[in-house]
Amino acid sequence: MRIFKKTPNIPFLKYKWFALALTLVIVTAGLINILAGKGLKLGVDFGEGTLIRVHFREPVSVSEIRKLLSDVGLGDSIIQEIGKEGREFQIRTMEKRTTTQEQEIESHQILADRVIRALQDKEDLEKLALGMLDLNNIDRNTLANLFREISPENAEELAGKIIEYRTLHGTIARWEELKKEPVNLPENIITFLQAKTFLGKMTILSRETVGPQVGKDLRKKATQAIIWSLIGMLVYIAFRFKGIEYGAAAIFTLTQDVLITLSIYSFTSREINLPIVAGMLTIVGYSINDTIVIFDRIRELQRTMKKEPLENIMNLSLNLNLSRTLITSGTVFLTILALYLFGGPVINDFAFLMLIGTVEGVYSTIFLSCPVVLFWNRYLKKKKLHK
Amino acid sequence: MKKNLKWKLALIIAVTGLCLFLIYPPKEKIKLGLDLKGGTHLVLQVLTDDAINVETDQMLARFEEVFKKNNISFTEATKEKPGRFFFRGIPSDQESKARDLIDQYTRDWDYSFSGDRLIFTLKPQAALYLRDQAVTQTLETIRNRIDQFGVAEPIIQRQGSDRIVVELPGVEDPERVKNLIKVTAVLEFKLVKAGPAPDEETLLREFGGQVPEDAEVVKADPRRGVQGYYLVSKVAAVTGKDLRSVRRGVDEWNNPAVHFTLTPDGAKRFEQVTGQNIGKQLAIILDGRVQSAPVIQARISDAGIIQGRFTPEEADDLVVILKAGALPAGIKYLEERTVGPTLGSDSIRQGLIAGLIAIFAVMAFMIFYYKLSGINAIVALILNEIIIFGAMAYFRATLTLPGIAGIILGIGMAVDANVLIFERIKEELVLGKNVASAIATGFSRAFSAIFDSNLTTIISAVFLFQFGTGPIKGYAVTLICSLVANLFTAVFVSRFIFEAFVPSNAKRLSI
Repeated sequence: MRIFKKTPNIPFLKYKWFALALTLVIVTAGLINILAGKGLKLGVDFGEGTLIRVHFREPVSVSEIRKLLSDVGLGDSIIQEIGKEGREFQIRTMEKRTTTQEQEIESHQILADRVIRALQDKEDLEKLALGMLDLNNIDRNTLANLFREISPENAEELAGKIIEYRTLHGTIARWEELKKEPVNLPENIITFLQAKTFLGKMTILSRETVGPQVGKDLRKKATQAIIWSLIGMLVYIAFRFKGIEYGAAAIFTLTQDVLITLSIYSFTSREINLPIVAGMLTIVGYSINDTIVIFDRIRELQRTMKKEPLENIMNLSLNLNLSRTLITSGTVFLTILALYLFGGPVINDFAFLMLIGTVEGVYSTIFLSCPVVLFWNRYLKKKKLHK
Repeated sequence: MKKNLKWKLALIIAVTGLCLFLIYPPKEKIKLGLDLKGGTHLVLQVLTDDAINVETDQMLARFEEVFKKNNISFTEATKEKPGRFFFRGIPSDQESKARDLIDQYTRDWDYSFSGDRLIFTLKPQAALYLRDQAVTQTLETIRNRIDQFGVAEPIIQRQGSDRIVVELPGVEDPERVKNLIKVTAVLEFKLVKAGPAPDEETLLREFGGQVPEDAEVVKADPRRGVQGYYLVSKVAAVTGKDLRSVRRGVDEWNNPAVHFTLTPDGAKRFEQVTGQNIGKQLAIILDGRVQSAPVIQARISDAGIIQGRFTPEEADDLVVILKAGALPAGIKYLEERTVGPTLGSDSIRQGLIAGLIAIFAVMAFMIFYYKLSGINAIVALILNEIIIFGAMAYFRATLTLPGIAGIILGIGMAVDANVLIFERIKEELVLGKNVASAIATGFSRAFSAIFDSNLTTIISAVFLFQFGTGPIKGYAVTLICSLVANLFTAVFVSRFIFEAFVPSNAKRLSI
């Protein structure tokens, strides 16, 4: 089976000016948006606020949560629903840069504590004050200690069963759930639990705070790592393809891969975190792979078609490799689509970024990497050729 | 089968077998990162200035004592800042005697006479050593506390000059552990001179509003059911260093409490102090907060009890920190991430489902598009995954979310390598070559592209590993593993399959 019955003959390089203009428009729009508009949202990894994920026993709405937070003056927090059923939410407190560096992480934590307290139920707090324990937040050992009072011989086992059930479902919504499989608690244990514990309104799934010092470090190190790896690629490509223009073209392509992806990303309300940086690097990886495959074809054809102008050789290389480009990026797109659809909330931002990146990577290889080599040869090497 | 094919087959089986052996059993061998498994990741900074401060205080006190004992007179002894203190008014005829004494007692401090002052400064080398020691001791103390608390497979590492990274997989109650790590845990028993009083003013009324020279004001810890302020003697009767053993028990009302015994030396002092002060209060102070202040009923020698409305967990934690000892310096949290077990297990489940769907979709496509030759790609893909996980198990690398990104890039490039080869073979077949030579040319032509693209990415990943931090490193590790595996599977294994299953005189190739 073949996508193209015959080798296609699309004059890609004819569109080089149009492609350059399009790139320029997207990057400019993105840069304006980043610098003057919405800007890039830095995530908690880079020292901005606290991220809390909570799971509620009963479904609630974003507006209800916002109301609870507004009551304690934290209405400007970013609240996102994650998962289904309206029971899981992600809350980002916005930092207030009024305190000194020293105090900032402490103040992040205080903010986070306030968020959690605001979300907690009044009744729950009263019960806690009475010395009852929250079955939706209790840890295994404490629960096992509790069970020692009533059935010391299998206290650990009972606690284990309940905690495992809770781990699977996030929270225990009703006592009836514990009577059924797989927990299967006998009536007397349930009665005992109902006397000693209560089912809290919510539980905290995760909580992340990065202090400004570490945030700055992480930002610096991520940037450093990326710059060095770009330099490494530049040197290797220049060496293998015997010309600095190929290395320069590859780096140019990659730079604009990152810029375009960031630009598009900046128009969504998603945040930049370390996994997103990894995603960005993956895009760069695919794009460089694409570019090298084309350059490799050019290198090969140059050996046999010495008389042919470079532009024609490039066009032929792009056409010869077109079916491969489509198949490879198609399968990669498929892989990432699966991650995007089924990967869950944690991986979702990452997959979204990659979806943009794979499409963009193909475009940049075809329309940008070759023209750059061409321009370089035409304008920067002119003198050499005249000799 | 040709002889060289046998060797190739043996090599492929050996590599696969070795990797499977390394992976088995996967639950133990493949370590999951905290983002997937759940747990707590803490980065903390040791406030090493504390150690310098303590050293300065100790040295100042020591030389005051030494000078007094040797009849060197001075009018003032003052700490200027951590690492620097001075004596004022040492008569010039005693200077040389003072010099001799200092040389005899310390090598870590520089000193100089300037005007009427004798100035001590801590040598930079000594300061460096002290700071380093503070970090090392803090690390040991934290390790002891966590071990006593009982966390499976904790990671406690030093990072840079004054940071410590603590990773605690699967902890269900992170707040408790955090507090357990952070408390300095300096325990002191001091005689109460006055108090408790609701505020400092009332407390000091009978002393004319001034804190007496041999005393200090300490706040009570309201969590322990004591309120207000106490005036206690500056010198501790015994401290946490005098403890021989601690264990959790109950007090006379059956409430959780901590029982302790003292070392013989500590017991002697304790006996003396309690014997002389029957009827007075003795404050039990933890990190500068009065926990309780019981009245001394009788002379106590080597055993006692700390009470103060503890919950069983709090009593347990107190036992842990008293056993592990005090921190030599304060600590500050720089970063903390807690992922609960629910979110972790959700991430794994969903990541696994998505990954499997993705892999099957790719495999289905390869079979659909390349027919029988697609099987070739599938074998390469499966082998690729086995090698990645084998290598990760061998290097004890942890699999994190960014690590999964690395694997995805690896899968993409593995598929790409096969696509490149197959497309090239097709091109050759269209040109009218026979099957065997089309395969041979296809492989050799595609090789340079595969080699260069994989190696370029490996180079960039090596730099990322070198300069990157946690998640970026995790990404680089899986990526490097999978690209190296790629070069093996795409070039070597795939070729072997063609050579073994396509007869050299084949007329048609299912591709």
